[in-house]
Amino acid sequence: MTEEVRTEFHQLMDEVRADLVQMGGMVAEGISAVTAALLAGDIGGADQIIAADDELDLLSLEAEEKCVHLLALQQPVAVDLRTILTDLRMISEIERSGDLVTNIAKAVARLHGVELEPRVRGLIDRMRQQAVKLTAMAMDAYAERDAGLASVLNDMDDVLDDLHNEYIVSVFASHELGKMEIQHAVQLAVVGRFYERIGDHAVNVAERVEFLVTGELPEHLGANRARARREQDEM
Amino acid sequence: MTQEPDATVPEVTVTAETAASQHTRIDVSGAAAAPMAANRADTQTVFHCDGVHVYYADFLALRNVSLNIAAHEVTAFIGPSGCGKTTFLRCFNRMNDLIEGARVEGSINYHGVELYQDEVDPVEVRRRVGMVFQKPNPFPKSIYDNIAYGPRLAGAKRSELDDIVERSLTRAALWDEVRDRLKTSAYGLSGGQQQRLCIARAIAVQPDVVLMDEPCSALDPIATGRIEELIAELKTEYTIIIVTHNMQQAARISDMTAFFSVQANEMGQRTGELVEYAPTSLIFTNPDDPRTEAYITGRVG
Repeated sequence: MTEEVRTEFHQLMDEVRADLVQMGGMVAEGISAVTAALLAGDIGGADQIIAADDELDLLSLEAEEKCVHLLALQQPVAVDLRTILTDLRMISEIERSGDLVTNIAKAVARLHGVELEPRVRGLIDRMRQQAVKLTAMAMDAYAERDAGLASVLNDMDDVLDDLHNEYIVSVFASHELGKMEIQHAVQLAVVGRFYERIGDHAVNVAERVEFLVTGELPEHLGANRARARREQDEM
Repeated sequence: MTQEPDATVPEVTVTAETAASQHTRIDVSGAAAAPMAANRADTQTVFHCDGVHVYYADFLALRNVSLNIAAHEVTAFIGPSGCGKTTFLRCFNRMNDLIEGARVEGSINYHGVELYQDEVDPVEVRRRVGMVFQKPNPFPKSIYDNIAYGPRLAGAKRSELDDIVERSLTRAALWDEVRDRLKTSAYGLSGGQQQRLCIARAIAVQPDVVLMDEPCSALDPIATGRIEELIAELKTEYTIIIVTHNMQQAARISDMTAFFSVQANEMGQRTGELVEYAPTSLIFTNPDDPRTEAYITGRVG
């Protein structure tokens, strides 16, 4: 005997869910598009990506407005409360990933005319692959309320972290062999950092999904240390 | 509102002697001061319920409820109509005795005394465990006499009554509004004032527990807010159990929440049961039972 008695409220929550999934999709597509522009030195394509971030910002604001509205008017509790809190945190994570895509796009012009070694190009493409995969998986976990899927993201992010380290070594090896100016090497290193950060945001999203589903806040090593210290001080 | 220095939780003692007498004595004289419970581990249990079933004749209204009610806490009962929450509330001061054919099985232990043993005097129970009803129900008397009625019956001296009336009305946050018209009819008060008068009347006989059966359902939001504030203040002195249909109210004012649900058998008879009993903050953020979650989020009618 299941009878929905707050249909409109739950419909509005579903709308926010759809908005967030759409935003996550835009970020995942943006990562691939900006990587193509970077590898092709396509400044025009990069400019389009920068302009497209405005749309993501607008969607973020609209989704946040909906959440504020739901909190103020519907007194959500239990899973509804956790959903809206998760949505609010996720909006920032996705919006920030969008900014990182924009940052990569801005680097395209600065790197114009720089010849990238095949190894560096290959590593950029693999970082793209991992960043897209993590973002898509985090959004799938959110859309499907899949805590199991969400729980594997942290470990999967190690792959991207390792690629990032390997990439930095390759970039500076290129410089040391005299194939690249230092300012371009630094610029490329910063670009690698943007991919790595996108992976971190996907992990954050996954942590919030686990909270949404289980009600348990994520374990946090630093917080645990501080709590242990506080308890020791109180003794 | 300050706590009276003599506000204490009575200890209930049953000796072989008293248990053998016609009525179990509920001793309030040698009361020890109740420690304000800092956390749940320290809280004193007022009611210990074990396997409580309530029948109306052959009809099982409430099945197998076991829970403890802690002292100086507000415990809320929530759940859909017919889930037995009011029936259960009325067990705590034996109000169900007044209904023909009503029967309570299982154990309800009040400070160590079995509430439903024959020796217990229900009138004494109702003095210790007061009640406030859904609709304000002042007596057709003056404001003063509404409060003085119970203490007079209990043998309070005439000279004490003025003090009792003032103290009770002050505790119920009504004194300032009525001090100049104590001798006028209680019916002249607004609905919210009448309900606070009923709370003052309930606490005038110095009860240990106050039961409230949807005390705000007939009141506007401002009057509701006053009652809620009053409940928060009263719990320093009394143990409060409240039935409410307003889940936000339960969330705002209670420490513990019990969610009751109702199940129909093949004959169409609807029996209430306790689904989940937990700290209110947990019930409203991460309830354990999917039925609780479905109810509080409005996914089950």
